[in-house]
Amino acid sequence: MAAHTAANQFASHIATRKIVVCVGSGGVGKTTTSAVIALHAALTGRRALVLTIDPAKRLANSLGVDALDNEPARIPLDRFGGEQHGGELWAMMLDMKQSFDQLVERHSPDAKARETILSNKLYKYFSTSLAGTQEYAAAEKLYDIYESGEYDLIVLDTPPTSHALDFLEAPNRLVDAINSRAMQFLYRPTSGLLSVGTNYVIKTLSRFTGGEMLSELGGFLKAFSALFAGFQERAKKVRELMSSDEATFTVVTAPNAGNIDEAIYFQEKLGEDRARVGGFVTNRVHPAWVPRGELGRPSGELARELAGLSAGFDAASPEEQKTFTRTLRQNASDFQVLADLDAEAIERLRERIPRTIPILSVPYFAHDIHSLAGLDHVRRALFETS
Amino acid sequence: MTSLYDRRMVLFSGKGGVGKTTLASAFALSCARRGQRTLLIELNVKDRLTSLFGAVKVSSHISEIEHNLFAVNISPQSAMEEYGLMKLKVKVVYKAVFENRVVQSFLRVVPGLKDLLMLGKSHFHATEKDAAGNYVWDKVVIDAPATGHGIFFLKIPSVITSIIESGPMFSDAKKIEDFLRDPKLTALNLVTLPEEMPVNETLELRETVQRELKIPIGMVVANSVYEPLFEDEQLEWLMGSEHGQFEHGTQGFVDAGKFRAQRVTMQREYLERLESTLSEPFIKVPYYFTERFDFQTISKIADELDAQLDAHERSGRSAS
Repeated sequence: MAAHTAANQFASHIATRKIVVCVGSGGVGKTTTSAVIALHAALTGRRALVLTIDPAKRLANSLGVDALDNEPARIPLDRFGGEQHGGELWAMMLDMKQSFDQLVERHSPDAKARETILSNKLYKYFSTSLAGTQEYAAAEKLYDIYESGEYDLIVLDTPPTSHALDFLEAPNRLVDAINSRAMQFLYRPTSGLLSVGTNYVIKTLSRFTGGEMLSELGGFLKAFSALFAGFQERAKKVRELMSSDEATFTVVTAPNAGNIDEAIYFQEKLGEDRARVGGFVTNRVHPAWVPRGELGRPSGELARELAGLSAGFDAASPEEQKTFTRTLRQNASDFQVLADLDAEAIERLRERIPRTIPILSVPYFAHDIHSLAGLDHVRRALFETS
Repeated sequence: MTSLYDRRMVLFSGKGGVGKTTLASAFALSCARRGQRTLLIELNVKDRLTSLFGAVKVSSHISEIEHNLFAVNISPQSAMEEYGLMKLKVKVVYKAVFENRVVQSFLRVVPGLKDLLMLGKSHFHATEKDAAGNYVWDKVVIDAPATGHGIFFLKIPSVITSIIESGPMFSDAKKIEDFLRDPKLTALNLVTLPEEMPVNETLELRETVQRELKIPIGMVVANSVYEPLFEDEQLEWLMGSEHGQFEHGTQGFVDAGKFRAQRVTMQREYLERLESTLSEPFIKVPYYFTERFDFQTISKIADELDAQLDAHERSGRSAS
């Protein structure tokens, strides 16, 4: 598929959606890609919000603001010709603790239950790190913003977990795990579920943890269980939304074997969940600077052709010029190794995913992407069809 | 200051994708080459050591991958089983308790349990002694989780000691916490790239480690540092040229050269920023233009680490 067709296809796919979820392993440029997708939407007249969970300040950095918090902040787009495009770019960073506290407040059956949870020692430490809570809070926040109808497009930058699909699975798993009947004995020790055998088991278990830890845990799980009815209902709605025509997934990856393997895995898993993958974005692809056949050009010949390169070069002796062109050749060969590897990795990705899904490549730039101008470079690489 | 090579437990952390596993592997290899019996630990991740070392499969059982160098991929399940058996002594009792359906689902949701088990197992190896009372391992090298999760992973003992005040879980956590904070025994190394975001995150991580975790930092490693390749004069020739002066093939050589030069300049700024902030040994590992990251590369990096750490120690000694 020609690059411009892929770009067109990706752009028009996103234009029809209200939610884009960017998934991928850590360090592949997910946050940047999320911001670029939102920026593009804004520049094509939509009101777009990018929502990140990454507590590192990288989104704020690249959007040129000091910090982001739990409330959406408008990003000025003056450099793109003021209001001509008619769109808006907004950004926010999910504060995990605050968001989870809000969930507790919303789903607690009464004030007493709420206080019990918020003052539980374990809750204070684990509300944001219990398996799946981050993803659950993010999913719920996304749903809230979606329901508010304030934005034409919401782009979600998911947490860099080793299992990126936790975002889809975690809400249900969290609910299932804590709500399972087997668990209830811990927070309802008098419910009659306890058999003699189980009693023995609990006693032995407390030899490991100590009674104090076990009762803290019991209290924690009991308090949490009060929230489940609400969680379950929400989790179901979020899931439905994610597999609807309103939402699409973008798999962000980098051109190396490990990341490509994971990208393929994400795509397969998302397919099982009936979620639609709208495109793959491969970041930091090394360009092939010199046509392969020309890498071995004699240094003398190359030196002659470079006549006029710059005043300093022209004034140098032929020997100096040849030393220079040998270094140039060495450098081009160095990068050719990387370009070949990247091309191979992308080829493998192409073979393993359906032809209908576009793969977009963003070149490795000479400079880091950490400014609005940098984001615009990436945007052009991703969306411009010329 | 105790040399990095003299600590018992050496951990590597950093942002995802900066080369933690590579650096942990190279450091472990350099320890083994110094004659230390070394255990390299992965923590329940998709195993990468097997392909890096081209060795026998690295699994949850310890295997020898090089002379003096052993590796294991600790899984929470196997760690729990070993721990359980150690405390309960009798396999039947262990099975009755830990394979009980109720307990299984309970253990799945206990927050932080997996991390504690894996850290506990690592600590166990770092202090493990044989029948004669000698340490089984001279060195335990841990490829710790990436930043974000990494902080939580290393924080778990202190979290537990702040929640409860007694009991076996408390005393285990306390032991690990004390061990991690002892600069004679433990070092946490931070791996980064000389780029904007990784450098920012590394400096933030360093502060958090010093302020909250209180785990001694061993060294900071900047990975993938481009060799400059061009001399200053040659750089002027390159950068003085106009864009798109030549036909495609020839221009490619110029553009590739400029790309390298720009990256080198950019990296230099970040290296200087790190250098001026850090008080720990600061190590620079070159970028390898290589087809496969295999044993040969690890081996080169191991030599690089060895030489640079040696130089640091010598200059440290002569300064004091």
